[in-house]
Amino acid sequence: MGKTIYIFSAGELKRKENTVVFEGEDGRKFLPVETTDELMIFGEVSLNKRFLEFCTVSHVPLHFFNHHGYYQGSYSPREFLNSGATILAQAACYLDHEKRVDIARRIVCGAMENMAVVLNYYRRRGNESLVSMLSNIESYKGKLDKSDSVAEIMGLEGNGREAYYSAFDHITGGGPFAFDVRSRRPPQNRMNALISFLNSMCYVTALSQIYRTHLDPRIGFLHETNFRRFSLNLDVAEIFKPILVDRIIFSLINKKVIQAKHFEDGPSGGIYLQESGRKIVVSAWEERLQQTIDHPRLKRKVSYRGLMRMEVHKLEKHILGDQTYEPHISGW
Amino acid sequence: MFVIMIYDVGERRVAKMLKIGRKYLNWVQNSVLEGELSEGLLAKLKAEVKQKIDHESDSVIFYTWRSERYTAREVIGIERNEINIIV
Repeated sequence: MGKTIYIFSAGELKRKENTVVFEGEDGRKFLPVETTDELMIFGEVSLNKRFLEFCTVSHVPLHFFNHHGYYQGSYSPREFLNSGATILAQAACYLDHEKRVDIARRIVCGAMENMAVVLNYYRRRGNESLVSMLSNIESYKGKLDKSDSVAEIMGLEGNGREAYYSAFDHITGGGPFAFDVRSRRPPQNRMNALISFLNSMCYVTALSQIYRTHLDPRIGFLHETNFRRFSLNLDVAEIFKPILVDRIIFSLINKKVIQAKHFEDGPSGGIYLQESGRKIVVSAWEERLQQTIDHPRLKRKVSYRGLMRMEVHKLEKHILGDQTYEPHISGW
Repeated sequence: MFVIMIYDVGERRVAKMLKIGRKYLNWVQNSVLEGELSEGLLAKLKAEVKQKIDHESDSVIFYTWRSERYTAREVIGIERNEINIIV
């Protein structure tokens, strides 16, 4: 498994001597193409067609983020894992109401269980006020079995997440990172800015992992497939958001790694992470993705990024009818 | 695995070695590259090197470790190329 490179500086990306070179103000930097899996581009970078062609043959997707750190889009190399059979099966699963509801339900169930795992972790550490949120999530999870439409499942997911978000202030102690309500585009406070930024990192990471499988990221099951955006990566991210995104947020805040000074007001309202803050969050994110856990079934260590890829493979197996999909539930 | 590649080759092939090495590893200083590779990629790198060197007069050495954890690294003087995933 290769590396993810995050580019914050301004400069030019080029193909040179059959590898990737970044020419910025601080000179030329060679990036070993064989060990690079994806490039995340935050800075002002210029590149040419020759470079894109090189990315295609090397299977390196590029992901672009704007000035505020919002995901803008990707350059996805031509699909190299073409499997007509899988795509047909995926589309058939989407069109079959029963099958689609079943997958959506499994995803939301996994997401909720992971939320409960996170809250339980803090409850065990003496935060008894979390008990009520836990029982709320539990009750929404109980209703999942009776729901028979994707819209209903989405609704329950929203309710569960609301209950879950109400626990945030109890874990971080409010202060400069008081949560209040979820606000997007633009985020109204620091906590929302953090959630938005890390969520988009999670979506993009899932997208890169899907690219390495046979599945088509455009056909999601929980999230509606439409004309504009990828949706399967949102489904996969749903399961991992509590255990990756939210736990990083808590640890960054509680250890005071990220502070009020790392945020700034946007020109048109809203609060955003500053570049220094963004770098801190990105390194914490990357560190977490590389962290490994003992996989109970495989009997070997797997990184969280690898776990995400396995999740997509499990979905693929489910779609092809090989093995029923069971979402990853975190052990602690 | 963690790999250090060191080459001592005829002048005409020095640049070739560098070009090959840079595709897989991070350049550290003249004739030295290091980085994390899978077994497959290391085999690929070795195959490329074998094709380009003169087997009578050149030598390329690969040091490998199971992981970077078993190595210690200390730079005296200047760090010529800092290796970082954030550019």
